[in-house]
Amino acid sequence: MKQMKKLLALLLALMMCFALAACGSSSDTTTTDDTSSDTTEESSDADTTEESSDADTTEEAGDEAEAEVEDTTSTETVSADDIDDNMTSEDGTYEIAFVTDVGSLKDKSFNEGTWNGVKLYAYENGLSYKYYQPANESEATDDDRYDAMAAACDAGAKVVVCAGYLQEVALTQAAIAYPDVQFVFIDGYTLYDGDTALTNVAGINFQEEQCGYFAGYAAVMEGYTELGFSGGGGGTNPACCRYGFGYVQGANDAAAALGITVNINYSWLYGSSYSASPDLQTMISGWYSNGTQVVFACGGSMFSSIATAAAENDGAVIGVDVDQSSESDTVITSAMKGLAEATEYAVGKYYDGSWDEIGGTTTTLGAADGAVGLPTDTWSMTNFTVEDYEALLASVVSGELVVDSDYENNFDQEYSNVTVNMIE
Amino acid sequence: MVDLIQKTLLYAVPLMIVALAGVFAERSGIVNLALEGIMIFGAFVGVWFVRVVQEWGWFAEAKANGDWLALQGFELLAMLVAALLGAVFSLLLSFASVNLKADQTIGGTALNLMAPALVLFLIRILANQSTLYMAEGDAASWFMIKKSTLGIDSSTELNPILEILINKVYLATYVCILLFAILSILLYKTRFGLRLRSCGENPQAADSLGINVYRMRYAGTTISGALAGLGGFVYALTTAGCSANGDVAGFGFLALAVMIFGNWKPLNIAGAALLFGLFKYIAASYSSIEVLSNLGISSYFYRLLPYLVTLIVLAFTSKKSRAPKAEGIPYDKGQR
Repeated sequence: MKQMKKLLALLLALMMCFALAACGSSSDTTTTDDTSSDTTEESSDADTTEESSDADTTEEAGDEAEAEVEDTTSTETVSADDIDDNMTSEDGTYEIAFVTDVGSLKDKSFNEGTWNGVKLYAYENGLSYKYYQPANESEATDDDRYDAMAAACDAGAKVVVCAGYLQEVALTQAAIAYPDVQFVFIDGYTLYDGDTALTNVAGINFQEEQCGYFAGYAAVMEGYTELGFSGGGGGTNPACCRYGFGYVQGANDAAAALGITVNINYSWLYGSSYSASPDLQTMISGWYSNGTQVVFACGGSMFSSIATAAAENDGAVIGVDVDQSSESDTVITSAMKGLAEATEYAVGKYYDGSWDEIGGTTTTLGAADGAVGLPTDTWSMTNFTVEDYEALLASVVSGELVVDSDYENNFDQEYSNVTVNMIE
Repeated sequence: MVDLIQKTLLYAVPLMIVALAGVFAERSGIVNLALEGIMIFGAFVGVWFVRVVQEWGWFAEAKANGDWLALQGFELLAMLVAALLGAVFSLLLSFASVNLKADQTIGGTALNLMAPALVLFLIRILANQSTLYMAEGDAASWFMIKKSTLGIDSSTELNPILEILINKVYLATYVCILLFAILSILLYKTRFGLRLRSCGENPQAADSLGINVYRMRYAGTTISGALAGLGGFVYALTTAGCSANGDVAGFGFLALAVMIFGNWKPLNIAGAALLFGLFKYIAASYSSIEVLSNLGISSYFYRLLPYLVTLIVLAFTSKKSRAPKAEGIPYDKGQR
């Protein structure tokens, strides 16, 4: 009996450990030593660098990673997926930090796209990098976000990349508290301390309405007449709203050009935390079986539910933020914005000493900057060709075609060839 | 209509099998409140197994060649693994409540609290995410049986019943229904079933006739754990696109309600599960049902429905419900 009590006590203690470990994800989460898997690959690569073999494994991994950086910068281009998410620097400081938006780091969309930019820049320039996920996931408060930023700054970050407009309040606070650290605010805008713009914050945003427009236009030109839009953030995320508004306009213009009418199911349901859910999957599956042909999955991990629903019903999906065609065969195209490129651009501004150009202002990137568009490398549409797309792109770049971005005032209009069926 | 029946089944089957899990435990005299926790654990184990095997590339060739039989085998294997690990997980409960004679409600609650934490912790370590997905592709393209998988052109119209039975279905659904039938027979028509049930009604009498009550209770809870683990994975596979995130939307608790509503009897349970499945379907896709979407009722109302119906139904039927007499009471040989 005594032994059993001991066992039980041990069990309960273990349980408590697990509960604490899982629930109390602190702001400086992770850096779990995932390096182990890569160590083997790296050690074979790094044989030539003749590292001292007596160093202990973790240090070695870090050293080798850096040695490899120096070796490979000039020779080949690497894809972001080949760069480890967790790196260990020698002195425990990390120069470039990334604070995630809600949703997981590897959402194959917004967070991951931005993070890839951070990794690529750091990798190519041999700098240390680290990501921070604010505590409490999708329920993160401004305090949680501030804690993550503060943790980044305290760990020696020189540039902190913050993704998502939700970080505004925390970022303002952090930028004032750490005036020597530069912050890149992706999907953001100029922040103010009272009336003065904070010069250590660079707001970067995109003209999502343009790539949304391309996606809607392409889908209708390709021959789809029953469209869907499933957005994240419950209709409060400006970027998603612009995507959606552009999508409707594009579909409308294409339908007008073809002289047909098009229906769009438009929904913000089940997307408030940008995550996959059975409810979302069932709803979208219902759309498909009721005739919807293509759905624009506009919200991070929601993509997984929507792609599954599409695969169930042989439907099609339009991806968002990054080229998602590798994730599922159902993807016909993706409304992309150059998250990785913009991140690299902004971080580069700091390192080449021209931060003043973007600090304290809002940089808006659009088709004219080559920052938004559809992926032409993985083009799969046949009726609407790459040439058609490039002609369309050119007319937007030249300013001949202007896509309205003012969704707040103009979304609820009568579209000539589109019926928007709001699902709420 | 086809969609309605199929989706209702998708939601009802995990409920049904997990409610049966509850029956097995309670009929043997152990209150298994841990159904939710075991489901969460089973879902995680199954998805993780699928992910790992995909990474090993065992079935990559079968997938590329469209060898759907092999893929169905893969699905069955994952179900088996989820069931096995669910059974192992439930041993914690049997150990606490049979050997240690601990309070079963508290033991079950402890498992319910532990499972999501443990699972999220493991997902973080294994995948560095908050949700565990398949390594590649999605559940529908790997495991779903469609007309095209069976070599029938997807544009041919079959008769509606065939359409429901063989188009856009998961093998898991049918396996669960079959298991449900077999295990119900086991519980009611075999010697083992009778002994098991007697331990839940009057363990002293059973013991006096030479039945090992402890062993029977272990058996009941272990079968219960296996079914709950299996149910968790089937839920994750068929409705959540084969992903696990430490949450099964309260299906474990809903299954308990279904069990009570079904009065611990398999046929009633199947009916109750179908009812809840229907309401779950309506909650998620009322917008695709023209009659309902034209009513102009707020979406929140529909999403509330399954739980509201549970409350109402339980309020009206629980008076008549007859739980196994000795459930929840640790068996003490010396007691008379």
